[in-house]
Amino acid sequence: MIDYLRLEVRRTLRDHGFVIFGVGMPVMMYLLFTNLGENDPAWKTVSMVGMAAYGAVGSALNTGGGVAEDKTIGWLRQLRVTPMTPRQVVTGRALTGSVTVLPSIAAVLLAGGLVNGVRLDVWQWAAIAVLLWLGSIPFTLLGLGNGYRLTAQTTGVANMVCNLGLAVLGGLWFPITLFPGWLRSVSSYTPTNRFAQLGTAVAEGHAPAPAAVAVLAAWLLAFGSYAVVSYRRSARTV
Amino acid sequence: MTKTDGTPAPPVAVSFTGAVKTFGAVRAVNGVDLEIRRGETVALLGRNGAGKSSTIALLLGLDEPDEGSVSLFGTSVAQSVRAGRVGAMLQEGRAVPRVTVRELVSFVAGRYPAPMPVGEALALAGIEELAGRRVDKLSGGQTQRVRFAVALAGNPALLVLDEPTAALDVEARHAFWASMRAYARRGHTVLFSTHYLEEADAHADRIVVIDHGRIVADGSGEELKRAAGGSLVAFDLAGRGTEGLSLLPGVTAVEVRGDRARLRTDDSDATVIALAELGAIRGLEVAPASLDDAFMALTSASDSVSESSSPGASGTPGTPGTPGASGASGASDTDLETVR
Repeated sequence: MIDYLRLEVRRTLRDHGFVIFGVGMPVMMYLLFTNLGENDPAWKTVSMVGMAAYGAVGSALNTGGGVAEDKTIGWLRQLRVTPMTPRQVVTGRALTGSVTVLPSIAAVLLAGGLVNGVRLDVWQWAAIAVLLWLGSIPFTLLGLGNGYRLTAQTTGVANMVCNLGLAVLGGLWFPITLFPGWLRSVSSYTPTNRFAQLGTAVAEGHAPAPAAVAVLAAWLLAFGSYAVVSYRRSARTV
Repeated sequence: MTKTDGTPAPPVAVSFTGAVKTFGAVRAVNGVDLEIRRGETVALLGRNGAGKSSTIALLLGLDEPDEGSVSLFGTSVAQSVRAGRVGAMLQEGRAVPRVTVRELVSFVAGRYPAPMPVGEALALAGIEELAGRRVDKLSGGQTQRVRFAVALAGNPALLVLDEPTAALDVEARHAFWASMRAYARRGHTVLFSTHYLEEADAHADRIVVIDHGRIVADGSGEELKRAAGGSLVAFDLAGRGTEGLSLLPGVTAVEVRGDRARLRTDDSDATVIALAELGAIRGLEVAPASLDDAFMALTSASDSVSESSSPGASGTPGTPGTPGASGASGASDTDLETVR
């Protein structure tokens, strides 16, 4: 299992596309969005969390892209004739997702602290990192659901649509205070919005609201079921 | 090339009992009974679409049979796979991106309880010098050998190779078969599928011919040739007609190419004596039927007499399958294109 995790993490980090879009892009966007024109110092913190969340969502979904690719090239089928159980393979993949979100989160937080001069207590930095890490699990499951269900090409498209759609709608790029009222209420039900709230709450010095945790938990359940159903369906054909 | 198995009845490696696998209206595997003993090297020979890959998918547990059963080493397929007794080179497998050859082979070896050292697996597959290269940067033939290394890395008791030489050039093919034989010589059971007759004849102890999802013959290359019937007697017509040739003793089929007649015969001696009495011997040539002929006779026969040929259920190598006798009858050279 650890070997499989190591192999897959290595493969992910060697993927130039992943490094550019999953790690480089959020950092670049964060620095752009917070340094163009006049900016409220508070926005540098909020955007930092938002962009770290955006990077984490992208990396988590990317795990599903890997699954779709492995399905296409017959690697998942090859694994089925080794002593590894399907359960180990899926678990290994999910863990891969939870490891590969870390560089994305870390890179944006570092840019915030070192370049943009965001000042927080040590416990706040640690709590934000951990909460963003744990909060990315639903998105890994969403990616796995797509990856097991769809072909490599359609998984790429589906992941991108999920990533951009949820990021914009959830207010990871622009503050939702800019949205019209109805869109703001939609936004509060998105997993991305609540995901980022885990971090922004800590940055403001208090614990995340129970509502944020509840909405995210509901999405965890939904995406988890989606992943299980997709996996079961594909297990027969892989 | 029979191996020296231990005398007390060697355990069975592979056992199919009435296995059926249907895809929609197609019975891809249509009642297969097959037994392969430990240490045998068996070729699964058939045309494209004959049911080879479907049979292998059942054997590896990638598919479940709709009827009948498949077992490996006396246990279920799933148990044997879990126990690391099986290694396979699948037909549709492609290069795994962004790993080196060594990383990939070590990873797979590490899944098995008693793998061979990675260096040994690489050496056996002839890819030591590629160890540090990325798998997705290799040529088709090199990738094929990497997949072979992946299949044998776990040192499995049963090695299954689905059309293993498809992407290889002639030289690589020779090297590949040498490696396969080296692995088989260690006492492992090897099953490979192919649609090349020469490969089956040259590299397997036993050939199982599959057609329309059924086993239509089972035996050594020699036995298949004999079962398919007879020899070819060829001679120059030198202007004489062809009438009456099909009535000569032993003759089952007559074919004329230009000025040369080719008679397929059950009894070449009787045919030749009759030809001598006719004074027809010009440039006489008597040859045993080739494996090509045998293969065509066996697979085309199953089209016409599908019901009467109960598949070779014996499972003991050395006993040719049943349908040989009927095979010679309907064989015509017109389905040449179906052979390869």
